[in-house]
Amino acid sequence: MIRLSLLQFRVQAVVGVVVLAAFAILLAATGPHLASLYAASGIDGCRGGGCQNLADSFIFEVTVAGYEPLYLASVAIILLAPAIIGIFWGAPLIARELETGTSALAWNQSVTRTRWLAAKLTIGALIAMTVTEGLCLVQSWWAAPIGRAAGYGAASGPLTQGRFSPQVFATHGITPLGYAAFTFALGVAAGALIRRTIPAMAVTLAIFAAVQVAMPLWIRPHLAPTHHTTISMASLGYLAGQGSPGGTFAYVATGLPGRPGTWIISSGAVNAAGRPVSTIPAACVVASVEGGYSGLPDCLASQGIREAVSYQPASRYWPFQWIETAIYLALALALTGYCFRWLNRRLS
Amino acid sequence: MIAAIETGGLGKQYRRTWALRDCTLAIPEGRVVGLVGPNGAGKTTLLRLAVGMLAPTRGTISVLGERPADGSAQLARVGFVAQDTPVYARMTIADHLRMGAWLNPAWDGELARRRIGLLGLNPKQRAGSLSGGQRAQLALTLTLAKRPELLILDEPVASLDPLARREFLQGLMEAVAEHGLSVVLSSHLVADLERVCDYLVVLVASEVRVAGEVSDLVASHHRLTGPRRELPASLEVITESHTDKQSNLLVRTDGPILDPAWIVKPVSLEDLVLSYMSRAGRRPRLGVVS
Repeated sequence: MIRLSLLQFRVQAVVGVVVLAAFAILLAATGPHLASLYAASGIDGCRGGGCQNLADSFIFEVTVAGYEPLYLASVAIILLAPAIIGIFWGAPLIARELETGTSALAWNQSVTRTRWLAAKLTIGALIAMTVTEGLCLVQSWWAAPIGRAAGYGAASGPLTQGRFSPQVFATHGITPLGYAAFTFALGVAAGALIRRTIPAMAVTLAIFAAVQVAMPLWIRPHLAPTHHTTISMASLGYLAGQGSPGGTFAYVATGLPGRPGTWIISSGAVNAAGRPVSTIPAACVVASVEGGYSGLPDCLASQGIREAVSYQPASRYWPFQWIETAIYLALALALTGYCFRWLNRRLS
Repeated sequence: MIAAIETGGLGKQYRRTWALRDCTLAIPEGRVVGLVGPNGAGKTTLLRLAVGMLAPTRGTISVLGERPADGSAQLARVGFVAQDTPVYARMTIADHLRMGAWLNPAWDGELARRRIGLLGLNPKQRAGSLSGGQRAQLALTLTLAKRPELLILDEPVASLDPLARREFLQGLMEAVAEHGLSVVLSSHLVADLERVCDYLVVLVASEVRVAGEVSDLVASHHRLTGPRRELPASLEVITESHTDKQSNLLVRTDGPILDPAWIVKPVSLEDLVLSYMSRAGRRPRLGVVS
């Protein structure tokens, strides 16, 4: 049955390997140049505040060299690979057999239907996970210098999103394994439930998109209880926002001073008593008008106002990777269980 | 003796309609059984229940003494050619034969190659480019080379032209003669079955109307023409038409018809089946196990 699965999966396997190879060749051709730019930048071995400037100039050089579109395209490919796998490999696995009636052929060989499904799912999921994680590893190798520069505090930009940002978190580490297994199983289950290939493909895409939006927005931030702290309003480098004269102000912290890689979940100003404030105190109205807005944070700080931040520490990156991958693998297993139950209930 | 297919009160319900209802049958082994009935009578449902492609809503079914599709050993004993004889369009004939060899321990590769050779098919040809008749032959070859004890075919010739139909049935009968298979095949055309079947099951409106040996059925049914009058209780009327003075009846009886008032004529199988099909739904007559 494994041989038949391989025979019937060979087109998908070839497509997967070709995409992976093309991706690898493209990145391998440019990777050494990227690495040489990094080596020449002198970031490694830098000390203190100079690092950030060196990182910034390295990112600038990378952008000038035209690697930004390549970086973004590679990220997009890794994000989309699971969806494509679920739609084109998962959804037809059962649905097409039912549509063309070949299920009657496949399920009347001297191999139980359970074994048939087990072999199909195992081979399909293994190839799906290998291809997706392969793309991820190639890209991680290629983009490693950019990631290190971002770690040294290069200014935020398309290339230098933090490790917890949705596009970086979902395309690095082990999460692509979970996504690939999940969408493949999702496609198979949708195909079994709907019995028609095209609608099953559409449902697979819709559910995958919904899950991939819900995960970073509502679920990932709360995989572990957030930590809380307050930081000085004066640490402007990590604040972004503005106030209006005599009116309200709002600043959003984008990081914690001296703790790179922290994932800010939410932030807001609080007064000395710890209550949220958004009205500019009378003492600061003048400051906000005369000094432009740049004087405002210092004045707010002098009034005892601090920025309260809830965050996930950088050290949770790998635990979160494992937890999220485990969640997706568990979903994939549940969907697989549904497929087996469907097969045994529908058949005698 | 183990029945090829034995059912007890078997029923299959789709949402609110019954595709097959209260079906009690015992189809003996070693026969070529024709399952005949109009479209939508429940033939496909019965056959798919027999190969475990459907689960019954009610009742029991056993095939060669075991639950349908219950394990690989049972699957190996039963061959199934589904309606429209599906094969994998993108796989070549050779791929299909390899699939058969991989998935069936009793695979007879020699038989498969010989049949493909006799059919004049190129093993490298993709199954999707075969004609309907060739596709049906490929599906039959795959099923025969599996060396099953029971071969179940669902309307295998319905979509074939007359020549392909004859060739298919001929190939089937040769295999039956060679390997001593039991066969159950369905059709809505009696003419297809008449040539090959020695046992018949008539299924109408999801109920079994009559079942039995073809020779017994033909011997026990008669067409009677004569004056209109009361009939003895030993005659079961299948269809009747009357004029003022005359009656035209198709009856079933086990004994001889001695009343000289009747003109008795034998009944063709087709006539018999059509009579059962057109008969209004009554209490289903159950088949006699021989």
